[in-house]
Order: sequence, then C-alpha cells, then structure tokens
Amino acid sequence: MEFVLFILFAGMTLTGAILMVALHNLVRAVLAMILGFVGLAGLYLLLEAEFLAAIQVLIYVGAVAILVLFAVMLTQRVSDPNAPVNNNQAWLGFTVALGFFGMLSAVFAPLKWPSLPEQSVSTVENLGKQLIGPYAVPFEAASVVLLVALLGAIILARE
Amino acid sequence: MDQLLLLGPEIILTVCALAVLTIDLFSAERGRAWSPALTLAGLALAALDAAALFGAPAQPVFGQMVVADAFTGFFRLTSLALAALIVFAAKEYIEKRTKYIAEFYALLLFVTLSIILLAASVDLIMVFLSFEFLSITSYIMVGYLRDDKKSSEGSIKYFLYGSVSSAIMLYGMSLLYGASGVTNLSAMAQAFAKIPAPMQSLVVMGILLTIVGFGFKIALAPFHQWSPDAYEGAPTPVTAFISVGPKVAGFAVLARVMIVALPHFAADWSSLLWAIAALSMTLGNLVALRQRNIKRLLAYSSIAQTGYMLIGIVANVANGEGLRGILVYLIAYIFTNIGLFIAVIAYSEQVGSDDIEDYAGMIRRAPFMAVAMLIFFLSLAGIPPTAGFIGKFLVFGAALDAARGSANSTLIWLTVIGAVNSVISVGYYFNIVRYMFFLPPKDETNVTVSRSLNWSLAAATLMTLVVGLVPQPFITFAEASVKAIFGG
Amino acid sequence: MDILKLIYDPFGSIGEGLRGLLTQLLVQSLGLPDWTVTLIMLIAGAGFLVAVATVTMMFLTWLERKVIARMQDRLGPNRAGLYGILQPVADMVKLFTKEDITPSGADRVIYNLSPMLVVLPSLLVFAVVPFANHVIISDLSIGFLYIVAIGSTSTIALLMGGWGSNNKYALLGGMRAVAQFVSYEIPQVLSVVGVLLLTGSLSLGRIVYAQNYVWFAAFQPVAFIIFLLASVSEANRTPFDLPEAESEIIAGYHVEYSGIKFALYFLAEYINTFAISVFATTIFLGGWQGPYLPGWGALLPDWLWFLLKSYAVVFVMIWMRGTLPRLRIDQLMNLAWKALVPLALVNLLLTGVGLSVMQVFGWKLNDFTVFPSLAVFLVLNVLMGAGFLAVFKPAHLPKRKVVLVSRSRAFEVTTTFTGR
Repeated sequence: MEFVLFILFAGMTLTGAILMVALHNLVRAVLAMILGFVGLAGLYLLLEAEFLAAIQVLIYVGAVAILVLFAVMLTQRVSDPNAPVNNNQAWLGFTVALGFFGMLSAVFAPLKWPSLPEQSVSTVENLGKQLIGPYAVPFEAASVVLLVALLGAIILARE
Repeated sequence: MDQLLLLGPEIILTVCALAVLTIDLFSAERGRAWSPALTLAGLALAALDAAALFGAPAQPVFGQMVVADAFTGFFRLTSLALAALIVFAAKEYIEKRTKYIAEFYALLLFVTLSIILLAASVDLIMVFLSFEFLSITSYIMVGYLRDDKKSSEGSIKYFLYGSVSSAIMLYGMSLLYGASGVTNLSAMAQAFAKIPAPMQSLVVMGILLTIVGFGFKIALAPFHQWSPDAYEGAPTPVTAFISVGPKVAGFAVLARVMIVALPHFAADWSSLLWAIAALSMTLGNLVALRQRNIKRLLAYSSIAQTGYMLIGIVANVANGEGLRGILVYLIAYIFTNIGLFIAVIAYSEQVGSDDIEDYAGMIRRAPFMAVAMLIFFLSLAGIPPTAGFIGKFLVFGAALDAARGSANSTLIWLTVIGAVNSVISVGYYFNIVRYMFFLPPKDETNVTVSRSLNWSLAAATLMTLVVGLVPQPFITFAEASVKAIFGG
Repeated sequence: MDILKLIYDPFGSIGEGLRGLLTQLLVQSLGLPDWTVTLIMLIAGAGFLVAVATVTMMFLTWLERKVIARMQDRLGPNRAGLYGILQPVADMVKLFTKEDITPSGADRVIYNLSPMLVVLPSLLVFAVVPFANHVIISDLSIGFLYIVAIGSTSTIALLMGGWGSNNKYALLGGMRAVAQFVSYEIPQVLSVVGVLLLTGSLSLGRIVYAQNYVWFAAFQPVAFIIFLLASVSEANRTPFDLPEAESEIIAGYHVEYSGIKFALYFLAEYINTFAISVFATTIFLGGWQGPYLPGWGALLPDWLWFLLKSYAVVFVMIWMRGTLPRLRIDQLMNLAWKALVPLALVNLLLTGVGLSVMQVFGWKLNDFTVFPSLAVFLVLNVLMGAGFLAVFKPAHLPKRKVVLVSRSRAFEVTTTFTGR
C-alpha cells in the first residue's frame, strides 16, 4: 500500500518536474510545476510529516505557484509555440546534470543511511515547542529576513 | 534573560533598524536628517555592547544555534565599523539618487546583523538562514537604483547566481546532515570522528557542494562570474559594502564549518580550497590587468584578495596561525577597500565617470584623495608600511610555518603563487597610480568633496596606516578571537 | 436498530452497520486484509459527501433565491414544486442539456481541467470537519492547516479557467480572484490563530470540544467578524464579488463556460459558501454542540444543531448579499490590508494577554473558571473594537466631492468612501 502510494507520488513529482522543463507553453509549465509540488507534499505525507505536507501545499501551491502563474500571465509570448525553450547551452547543461547525477548515484549507491529514532510526540506540538525553544534564534532571524524581503519588494517594485 | 543579554548587539541592531523605518514612516521630512544619525547611534551602541561582551567566556545562546564567543565578538566589532564607514560613504550618494533613504539605512543595519549572525552561527540551519539573509539583503541593495539599468542588471545576475548557489549549498549541507544526523557543528565533528568508511565519500560530496556555495557567495574563482557586473552596476557605496561584507562573513563561516565541524576531512577540503585559492588569485589578477572601469577592476582585485586570504584557511590545517592571519588581513582589507571606494565615490561624483582614464592628473585636482588612494593601493598590493602588508605577511608566514611543520610542499607552492600574484597586482594598481600622478588631467578643476566623505576617507587612511605601523594590538585582538575556536 | 439512536447518531449507526457488514463479507468470507474495509468505508464516506454536497448546493440556490426575493419584496421561484423547491432540479436539467462550447483560441487542456479542479478543494476541505460527535472523516492533528492549505489551491483552478478561456474578461476575473484571495487569506488565518491559541490544537475536533462551555464567538467576537468578512471575500460573494462582477467584467473567470462545466463552477461556489458557514460554526459557534444551557444540548441531535448553526450563518451571508453594494477594488484591498490584517494582529496579541491572565489564575476552558476568563476576553475585545473604531473613524477617511449640475440648479452631494 505504502509502496504503491510512494510510486504514485514520486511519479507525480518527477512527471511534473520533467514536464515543467520540457513544455513550450509557460503557463502549462507552471501547472506542471504545481503537479510536482503536490507530489512532493504527498511524499511528505508518506514520511508522516503532515505539517510539512500542509505547509508545502499552502506555501508552494497556494502562494508561490500562484504568484509565478500571475507573473507568467503578465509576460508576453506566453503561449507562443515558437518561443525557444532551450538556449544553445542546453546540451552542455544536460551533460553536466547527467554527470552530476552519475556522480551522486555512485556516491549514494553503496550507502546504508542512518535513521533517526522514532518519535511518538505529536508533530505540531513538538514543532511549536522546538520553534520557541532551541530554534528561537533562527525563528526570529527568519522573521527579520521576511521583513527585509518585504521591504525590498516594495523598494524594487513600487512605482 | 542572561542569554538574551548575550545577543545584545544583534538586538540593538534590529531595534535600531525598525526604529529607522518607523520614524521615517511618521516624520514629515521622510527621515532625511534622522536616519543616518540614528543608524550611527545604533551602530555605536551595538559596538559598545559588543566590546563589553568581548571578554566574556564563550556561551552558546538558545540551544546551540548561535554562540557569543570572542570569534563572534571580532566579527561584531569589524562589521559594525564597516557599516559605520558605509553610512558616511553613502549619505550623499543615496540622498541624491533615490527617495528611499531611510530604507537604505535600515537595510544596511539588517545586512550588518546578517554578517554578525553568520559569524555567530554554530549550526548548519543558522548558517544557511544567515547566508540567505545576507544574500537577500545584498540583492536588494545592489538593485537599489531601480531606474538605473545597470543596477537592475547587476542585481538580477547576482540574484540568479546567488539563488542557484544557495540551492547547491543547501544540498551539500543536507548531505552533511544525512551523514552525521545532526546540524550542530561541533556535534557533527564528533559524529564524523567515527564515521564508517562508505559514508566518507558522502561527506566529501557534501563538503564539495557546500564549498561551491560558499565560493559563489564570497566570489571565489571559478564561481565569480556574477561579481564584476554586480559591482559595476550597484550603487558605489553598496559595491564598497559587498566587496567586503559578504567576504568577512564568508570567512567566518568557512572557519567555523571547515575547522570546527570537519577537522577529520581536512585533507579533502584543504586540497579543494588550495586549488580555489590558486585559481582565484591568478584569475583575479590576470583579468584585472585588462580592466578599464575602476569598479570592475576592484571587483577582480577583490577576487584575488579573497584568494590570498584563503591561503590562511588552507594553512590552518596545521595550526591556528592561518586564521589569525586572515582576521588581521580582514581588518586591513576592510579599511583599505572601503577607503578606496570612498575615494571612488567622491571622485566620480564630480567627474561623472568610473573609467580609469578619467583618473589622469588626479593629484592636481584632488591631492589629498590621490595620496589616500596611493596608500590604499600600496596596502592592497601588500607593500609596507601599510595594513595590507601585515595581513599578507601573517597569512603567507602562517602558510610557510605550516609547510615547515608538515613537510608538505603544496603549501609552499601556494605561497609562491601568492607572491607571484602580488607582483602581478602591482602592475594594475600602479597603472592607476601612474594615471593619477603622472598623466596630465583632461580638466583642471578642483574636485570638492563633502565633509562626511572627507572625514571617512581620512579615518580609513589613518586606520590603514595604523594597522601597518602598529600591528601588535590588532594581532593580539585577532589572536584572542581565534582562541575561541581553537581553545575549545 | 434502535430508532432513537438512528436519529441522534445516524452517521455513527450507519457507519457501524456498514463496517460490520463489510468486515463479515470481505475479511471473514473472502479473507481480504483489514485495510480493504477501511478503504471502502473511506470511499463510501467520500461518495456520501459528494452526494450531500450536491444536494446542499441545490438547496442553497433555492434558499438564496427565496430569501433574496423576500428581501426585495418579491416571491422568488414558486412554479416548480411546493414553494418552488424543485426549481434547482429544473435548473440542473437545463444546464445539463445545454451545448458545451469551447471558445476558439482557448487552451483546451487548461480550459477543460479548470472546472474539475475547482470543485475538488471545495469538497476536500470537508474531510476534517466534525459534523457531529465523532462523525468526522479524518480528525487530522493539523486540521485547520489542512483546510487553509487545500482551500488555497482553489485559486489555481480559477486562474486556469480565466486564462484558458482566452477572454480578457475571464483573465481579469481570474486575476482579481487571485489578488483578492491572497489578500484575504491572511486576515482569515490570523483571526483563527487566536482560537488555536486558546485550544492549543489545530484539530477541528478538539476545537469543538474546547467550546463545550462557551463558544469562541463569545471569546473572540472581533476575530469572528474578521473571519466572516474574510471568508465571504474568499468565496467571492457580494459585497466582495469583484472577480465575477457582472456590471464590470460580465461574469469574470467563468464567462465562457456553459452547460455542465458552468454547473461545476456553480457547484463549487455554493459549496464554498456552505463550507464557510461550516467552518464558522465549527471554529466559532461550538460546532455540533448545543448551547450551554440546562437541557438544551440534548434537545436536538448533534447533527441538527450543526445544520441549524450552519444555515444561520448562510442566512447572514445571504442577508449581506441582499443589503450591501459591491466594493470597489481599492476599497477591497484597503479593507484587507489596512483594517483587517492589523486588527487580526492586535487580536492575536490581546489573545496572548488574555491567555496569560488565564494562566496566572489557573483558569481553564473546560470548567467553571471559563466565565471569569470570558469576562477578561470580552473586556479586551471591547477595548480592541473601540480602539479600532477610533482609529478608523469614518470621519478620518478621505471624502470625495461629487458635484451634480442640473440645468435648473446646482447642488452638491458629498459621499464618503473608504479609500484614496
């Protein structure tokens, strides 16, 4: 059961990712990206990280992808079938990516990954306690980062 | 509460930045007069607090994410000094070009905060977060002049390279986490001490990718492609800042991650950094020879300078001297490079160009500035009696010392490459000096410089000379800071 | 089967019966693993939900037309069936028999996918709602977050519809929908965070249990109002129906859709309306529990309490539609960013204050100490409301002078509006 679901979600993620790079139509590419995001959320669910899965859907599908879609729809030549998808370095990029993939596979193949001990605590509660406990400084720092990003968006985009 | 007090300088910076923003929101004058003064006050207050905390014993703050030790203290003080210089350098430049004035100072305070956080991080999560903090703030500052096409171009290039490199770095960090099961740096070192053999290649992979990420952020060759465009396009005070700030932070992180977390893989990362250092020095200097725009020239020069400093990290495998050398080099580099950029700001403000040819006859148009620039170039080239000489001396010396101890000739070769490169760099630094002093000016008018620029230029010149002539207190300062890492 | 039990807990009784039957049939006779029963039960639950949703939607359209008609002094549908109750059926038949049109130049894949996707999130959100005691498809520990996450995906479908139609009005409508949704999602979620703080859980089941003494609407009246306004806006209902404003952009994102595809949009819209009232009921109005008065809780079965409250909220929304004019786009954005978001943040802060007071005195939600806590929260809310009205006093808002000049005489009309 779990394996079937894994194949399903992994397939979804990969299909989304491949389509996103391969499709000519930008809007469809973004929609493929959303498919990938949803597949990823499914994978998180399988890892029993419900909170992360919900956040993945909320942030990436509900916010990031929407904004990307919004921006894409405001650009020109969105659905032009003749618009170039690749530049003249596509083959180079493909080769580098393939080489990187080969290298990683060579490293990963013989490994036995260590696993963390199972935790029975409710994830959300635990997360909340962690965020205001040991992770208080990164949490606060992240909020400052967001403030800076907001400030920057206003400065760079406001007419 | 005690732990909060340890974060005093950071809290002061945050509060000050928010105050700058808020006052600007409510003041009728759009905070023109207020914000630089307030920013300086905040920086001074934070520096006082940092100085008071410097002697205190090292203590982790809030669950081992950041640590307030002497090493952090060093970067607090230096980055605060850096920010203060930038405030002076930027005041008129920014007021003239954009209406978002208070926001600039707020961003400057935030970016200073990010450097301090980065230097204080002892956990990969915090390292990554602070790196992103630094990068995002830098992207915004580079693109600050929205109507200037070059500024936007630089910002976009910086952003594209930066976000890709963040992803690579994060992936590397995730491999390190996967291999060790922890994100805390010292816990990671313990985990790696007894790591099974098949996992080691994974760690090496993680190190490789992490270093690629770091390399992008601090513009080391061959990951430097974004930097000349970003430097050229950015508002010059921002160029001054990003030529120093991210590097300062980057070396802090390199020291923490490599030396604290990965001592058991020193052979791997040091040979990698060896190659990067050699490449950075050589490529930076050779390309700088051909530059006609002074901002681009300084971009390549700073790539080379980073390469010199990296020698210290490579040498540090054997002893703590290399890191001490880097810290002194960083002090020298901050004052020299910022001073140089202040001069560039002041001069191009009048002349309206950043071309090296327009520096012809500068001695007649702005004698004080020309002399100051000469001192800065001497310092960059590493010629006594300037700060740059002390920095290079300590770093190269540490490398030779380490080489003697380990019968390892690679470090000697690296030092030789560094020395040869220093000679090459004299070529282009003194090409500008030649223009300034020996060629006739196109235009005889005097260059008038505003008071804030003049004073900050004087301060930077003075510091460059003081570090060069009386280096001992600075070396002691650096030594005390390095102890925090090696002392336990 | 006990008839009384069937009335008071119909879902539980039927579910138990079905589960028993299936276990006997599949596990004991056919030797299939246990999870097949769970799977079939889940599928049955989902099917049931879809059926109920469709019926609810049909009923809602009738109700809305009837109530609006009364508010406008009309009769409303009254031909098909008693009081026109069969009117929605007639409408459905009409929609199903209409021609299915795809505009030329439309992006066919996206155009056809959109109506299907638009219904999906509307139905999915019901999975975590407790309709009665223990009647919940899945009481996720992240229940509320799940609702927000799934709900946020619906905009993608709207945007797809707007873009795929190859129609400028549709695209405008889609864009408006997204802008509005993204803006109003923030106050909506923030307003509920106060409740989450009080409950200490994201699970909707536990939120309902936490209200067995006092409903959170009494604890957080300001948050309740914010939630209702933001939710109505997210559902694109009047007075926030800019994405489909007939007088401006014809029908917005679904302007090109006809027949069954239009029906799907229609379905999604009404299910969303119902979903909002269900969430308002669950989070703020005590869910399936009766009010805390002697004997009242047991007066009606749980599910009936739940429906009563939900339809009361639906009625309020219809009422709003009947009485309020549509906002302008800048008013809409100002309301979200300059009024609701700050107010929700202040509410969050004051909830923290109230919670600290409760902690200091050791007061709890599930015994009689809830009443002094309630007093504290009411005082805080009154203060907040007063402060808000003082800051956003209508007198502070800019005024626009409209001058009407007629031939006989000139006279001035001064109108007030919230905006630049």
